[in-house]
Amino acid sequence: MAVESQRVEDFKLTEEPYYLPLGNEVELFESAYHSRLPVMLKGPTGCGKTRFVEHMSWRLSRTLVTVACHEDLTASDLVGKYTLRGDETVWQDGPLTTAVKAGGIAYLDEIVEARKDTTVVIHPLTDDRRILPLEKKGEIVQAPDDFLLVISYNPGYQSVLKDLKHSTKQRFVAIEFDYPPPDLEESILKSESGIDDDTAAKLVKIAEKVRNLRTHGLEEGVSTRLLVYAGQLIQSGVEPIAACEATICKPITDDLEMQRSIVEIIATQF
Amino acid sequence: MTFGPAVGNVGMYVAREMLISVPEDQRQAYLRMVEEISDLKYQLGVEVARQLPRLLAEADPERVARYLAQVREVAAAGWKSGVEVAKQLPDLYDAPDTTLAGSYVDIVSQATAGPAEDTETAQLAIELDDLERELREMEPKVKRAQELRTQLAARDRRDEKRRKHAVELAAALPPILARLRPRYRPPYLEQVRQVAAADPEASLEAADTLLDLLNGERVSPEGAAEWVARGLDVLERNKEVGRGYFRLGSKYSLQVLEELKEGLALKSVARVLKLYATALSGQEVAIRATTEMQAVDVYGADHIILPPEMHFLEDDEGNFTAYKVATAHGAGRIEFGTYGFTLDSIPDTVARLRERYPETA
Repeated sequence: MAVESQRVEDFKLTEEPYYLPLGNEVELFESAYHSRLPVMLKGPTGCGKTRFVEHMSWRLSRTLVTVACHEDLTASDLVGKYTLRGDETVWQDGPLTTAVKAGGIAYLDEIVEARKDTTVVIHPLTDDRRILPLEKKGEIVQAPDDFLLVISYNPGYQSVLKDLKHSTKQRFVAIEFDYPPPDLEESILKSESGIDDDTAAKLVKIAEKVRNLRTHGLEEGVSTRLLVYAGQLIQSGVEPIAACEATICKPITDDLEMQRSIVEIIATQF
Repeated sequence: MTFGPAVGNVGMYVAREMLISVPEDQRQAYLRMVEEISDLKYQLGVEVARQLPRLLAEADPERVARYLAQVREVAAAGWKSGVEVAKQLPDLYDAPDTTLAGSYVDIVSQATAGPAEDTETAQLAIELDDLERELREMEPKVKRAQELRTQLAARDRRDEKRRKHAVELAAALPPILARLRPRYRPPYLEQVRQVAAADPEASLEAADTLLDLLNGERVSPEGAAEWVARGLDVLERNKEVGRGYFRLGSKYSLQVLEELKEGLALKSVARVLKLYATALSGQEVAIRATTEMQAVDVYGADHIILPPEMHFLEDDEGNFTAYKVATAHGAGRIEFGTYGFTLDSIPDTVARLRERYPETA
């Protein structure tokens, strides 16, 4: 379904997404929003960045337009382009323009994956000008006060070839995320998957041990999201070791010896 | 065109137009004469073939015979002079003075042959011919001598290496025997002896490897004998591959060992155990074999020391569990600081104890 054919109200969340604050991130985000400062969320995969934005969108009662950035995403895809419709050439707003016009939250997930020209497009939106030039249309859209640009960024994935430039990084208020402390992570697992206290504690203990293998062959540790998946499988009746193998072990590494060591860690708990 | 039996290779020197210019009844004789003279030198044959049709046309056999004789006379002294004389003589025969041709031939013959007393040159030439012939006959022998020289040099190098490795083996064996458990010494020496007889360099590798295998009880003495026997087969086929076998540097060698082993080798599960211990303790942990104990700090907080071979239980799974239990135990000690403890971290307690037991202070 094309963005234009949807009403922007469709992007408004009506139910509160579950989110357990880990620190002062909610207050920081609200302050940035009221001060009209763009926000950058930093943190490993599956630690709750997207859920946090959804929660804040609901909390601030703003529409949320999320764009999952990828290597083929161009500035035109974000801003908009002329398309053929019947015998006519018509302008179609991109998701960023839609969010700017509607005064909602535009969330560019993993911005560093997109092509370089996209970062140039967002620059005028991130300083005091708060404008979005639609170059092809010869138009400048002034962002309303209730518009907020949010980007996410996983420092663990970056390399010399793929990294945000300092000129981009230094335009954002950064909120850093990490895996939650054990007691909070247990609460999240129980809430999201419905497992009991003991199972939640075991899953969190496994995650804590496996995360120790970061820098020893694992690119990233087990995310809270994967633990939630494990909890959901266990809750649906899958045997705990099998559930953990399928969610905690196999998705994060293809190294057979690494997999075996993770299975042994799982076996120490179940 | 067929020139008849006398033609032979003369067709190479006689052009078609030359032959046509010779009276038909004399063509066979012409070809024979050219062939005979060309036996002396190819260039002489070519020139005589050019000149003879003119002489034969005069129908004077005596002049033809004289021409050929004079050409031969000069050519005997030098073939290049002979070619020139063969070219010029027919014109001189036409001169009014019939003695001119004879004098011309004498002068050129003498000029070509040189003074009669210069026999030294001829002797030198003869000697050179003889020597060259002998050298040609010697060529296969020289070649063979070169081959033998190369072979012997290679053997010398090999023997030199063998002696060098034998010296190294002589130095290496006593300390290895000192480290080897006494009950394994006789079978160990027998296996090393067999490998040394085949290749001292390989025996150096075998000496080290057998020490680890027997001391670590990864194979029985019978298993070691079987491992050596299969290695000797490899060594016989290829020295380099065989040496790799005895240093456990080949897949086949490890396969044979796997067949003969009496338990689970630490080497095969060391990385899994390392990752396991690192995950449990939250610190980078190395796994070391007890055979390395001399080189590591036994109470170091960054490694766990395990036997090189685990054979307490029936199968690999059971032996792996035994390794895992030992690793978890070591990881617990590392995580909770058993090896990192020093008295400096409890100064108050130390002070109290010193006060209570002043005689030990």
